[in-house]
Amino acid sequence: MILKSTAEQVLNEALKTGGDFAEIFCEDRRSGAVGLVDRRVENASTVRRHGAGIRVYRGLNSVYVHTNDTSLFGLTAAARKAADAVSGEACVGDIHLTQSLTANIHPVKAMPMDVAGARKAQLLKDMDLAARDVSPEIHQVRANLIYWDSDVLIANSEGLYTGDRRVYTRMACSAVAEGGGESQSGSASPGAMMGFELFEGRVDVAEQARKAARQAVTNLHAQPCPAGVMPVVIDGGFGGVIFHEACGHSLEAAAVAFGNSEFAGKLGEVIASPIVTAVDDGTLPGEWGSLNIDDEGTPTTRLVLIQDGVLRNYMIDRLNGRRMGMAPTGSGRRQDYTFAPTSRMRNTFIAAGSDDEAEIIASCGDGLYAKSMGGGSVNPVTGEFNFAVAEGYLIRGGKIDRPVRGASLIGRGSEVLRKIDRVGSNMWMAQGMCGASSGSIPTNVGQPMIRVTDMTVGGR
Amino acid sequence: MERNEFIAKLFQRAKEKAGQAPDFACEASYSAGSEFEVSVLNGEILRYSVADSGGLGFRVLVNGKMGYASTQILDEAAVDMLVDGALENAALVESEDKQFIFEGSERYPELKLFNPELEALDAAKKIEMARELEKLTLAQDPRIVRVDECAVFSTCAESGLVNSKGLDVSQKGNLLGGYASAVAQEGEQVNTGFKVFFVMDPGKIDLEKVARTAAQEALAGLNAAPVPSGSYRVLLRNDVAGTLLSTFSGVFSADNAQRGLSRLKGREGEMVATECLTLMDNPHLEDSAASTPFDGEGVATSPKAVIEAGRLNTLLHNLKTANKQGVATTANASRPGYAAPVGVAPSNFYFKPGEADFDALLERMGDGLLITDMQGMHAGANPITGDFSLAAKGFAVRGGKLAEPVAQITIAGNFYEVLSAVEAVGSDLEFHAPGASCFGSPSLLVKQLSVAGL
Repeated sequence: MILKSTAEQVLNEALKTGGDFAEIFCEDRRSGAVGLVDRRVENASTVRRHGAGIRVYRGLNSVYVHTNDTSLFGLTAAARKAADAVSGEACVGDIHLTQSLTANIHPVKAMPMDVAGARKAQLLKDMDLAARDVSPEIHQVRANLIYWDSDVLIANSEGLYTGDRRVYTRMACSAVAEGGGESQSGSASPGAMMGFELFEGRVDVAEQARKAARQAVTNLHAQPCPAGVMPVVIDGGFGGVIFHEACGHSLEAAAVAFGNSEFAGKLGEVIASPIVTAVDDGTLPGEWGSLNIDDEGTPTTRLVLIQDGVLRNYMIDRLNGRRMGMAPTGSGRRQDYTFAPTSRMRNTFIAAGSDDEAEIIASCGDGLYAKSMGGGSVNPVTGEFNFAVAEGYLIRGGKIDRPVRGASLIGRGSEVLRKIDRVGSNMWMAQGMCGASSGSIPTNVGQPMIRVTDMTVGGR
Repeated sequence: MERNEFIAKLFQRAKEKAGQAPDFACEASYSAGSEFEVSVLNGEILRYSVADSGGLGFRVLVNGKMGYASTQILDEAAVDMLVDGALENAALVESEDKQFIFEGSERYPELKLFNPELEALDAAKKIEMARELEKLTLAQDPRIVRVDECAVFSTCAESGLVNSKGLDVSQKGNLLGGYASAVAQEGEQVNTGFKVFFVMDPGKIDLEKVARTAAQEALAGLNAAPVPSGSYRVLLRNDVAGTLLSTFSGVFSADNAQRGLSRLKGREGEMVATECLTLMDNPHLEDSAASTPFDGEGVATSPKAVIEAGRLNTLLHNLKTANKQGVATTANASRPGYAAPVGVAPSNFYFKPGEADFDALLERMGDGLLITDMQGMHAGANPITGDFSLAAKGFAVRGGKLAEPVAQITIAGNFYEVLSAVEAVGSDLEFHAPGASCFGSPSLLVKQLSVAGL
């Protein structure tokens, strides 16, 4: 994308006014989307994004400039703009870059942009038919395929010159059930850091569509969820969004470095129930939140965040690592070249425990079983989180009773982690897009079935 | 390549490849702009970013089907990539809905969207403003221990549409804004308060007010506790009511209605809200980046009441949805960015203010809850059914007076029902930060919502 000699010149320019670190992140991204609604392919689009971001540090101050012009002229102008915002003693740089090759642990067999349009259309129709086949109550189905192929180059004033190619493919199906003057919806949207081989064995689009349709039908016949405080059993997979919101964001250096986290200064302390071990792992082949190197060029890692209830690690990017006096953990991520990176999650999950799923529900008494979760959000400063239950059931006397809809769960991260009294033995993950200051990025959430002794359940 | 030259080549190439189709037409939409943001912490610059960005979207109509492609590089290779990509994409489309590329309106309104005075404010001045905002926020009270985020930002963007039917329109706008997030601490209790501002006229900036609002929000919510679960009469503060409107704005889209994704389908002319509610879509407001003389298809815009005194006048249309329903477009075609396909979206979308000031609304409510914050809209609200169940904060209200702060509760209800349950509308209309759309509301007194707490 850009020559080594160009990068060297640009980095030198960026440091001319006294910066002590400079970085170029150059990206060329092709993406596409095909969507179906009303049984027909409705739209198809192709997008090419191209540009570079230049970052300069001076101590803990950080400047970010991005541009679409990646010619030597354009990059030098951007570097000058960045340098202009840094005031210090002028220094003459002598940057020498050494290329390093990134090993790809996520091989791609079918590049999404090369897959024929007809095959994409067929996958969408398979989803539509499968969803409608579940029940005559399914009145509308939206099916989408999205994919992108991002080629990145990262060079910095410490001599790094490296690159990576990230390919993502995802389906999304949402179904609407109607009846009795009401409508309700259900959805499923698995994806991976893979090409279209995702749909040969790993993800069955029809089964996912049926899952979305069944959820919509279940919700159509569900009663509104009663409000109150009760024990809550949260199923595996996307249920892990509870850990993501309640704890994950508060373990990102972006919050911790400023004391804006309820877990700041608590390394080595007990912050969760002793049956909780939680991991953030960027090394899992082909997973939605995986990487080879992060967006600062640091190799990705597997990080144990909480071991048996004790806080072991934070997720740290380069700049906040400086702030905290700690090494980066390969957690620097950004949506694209228009964002400066910061510490973010990758594949984040509560590890499998030893409890039996049937027992978890049987010993629950009266409570809520959250089979499928929607998304959520958190205020890391206070730890207050909220998230939505996409498919839920009341538990009565240790048995799963009737379905309920419109439930939401709220609480404080530090409190809910201590209230986990069961962790099941079968962990799985699900895909999400996580939004924060460095944009929207693919992350996996995951957990086995867990139980929280009491939570505030919102409903009507 | 220079933009005009690129567009000329693009149209020429498209015509060579697909010009034989009887309905052939093509269109380029472009945007180019600059952004600036500086955030400070303890008087030091924490983040500083400058960006120039732009891109060009292309769409082509062939045999009744529309295909899209876009790029951020304007070179020779991009010409082929756009033409081939858009034609391939058009070939995939099966929808039978009639598609349009518009030749242009007779005249376009003249709007003041660009203020040269804003461009005269240099980076140093904006850095100084951010520092000042932080200082003022910290000075409000010793319990304000720090700011979480304190920033000043500015944007300047030009966008336009050019098509093979002769349309050539463009607009340019700029805006300056900032925000402060105050962190209040008392013992173990921590709370945050946030306030954002945005202006086109630098003379309207009141940093002291922004700092005071953020700090007061953080302080007033300290030591908050949940209330017992149950039904409450609720006053939704202006910003919260605006959030609710923004979350459910999709129900007013004719595109959604025609697909059975809105319960307002076919209800034009009927009462859908209480008489005290009038819902405006006004693309001509000042101080809003969502204001525009033409929509995403190049149709001249105009202000209109979507709901007037409770009655649904119209849904929001683009050319396709209007044609489907046999009505005129409301010029609400959206193209959020040059790359996105045409959809439907509001411009400045807000409930018209009423007579009662905030204290009068509290007085009228007597006993109930004032809601000042709602979280979790992207998941806890179902835009199809109108159901919501959201984390909330606020204050207990007794005898028309604010009492203790409330947190760790959820409020639940249904947006369609809320429209019919509004008893009174405040005079305190306030807008959110503008994006492609901009939402606003005065405070709304609602008969009843469900609360989960203790």
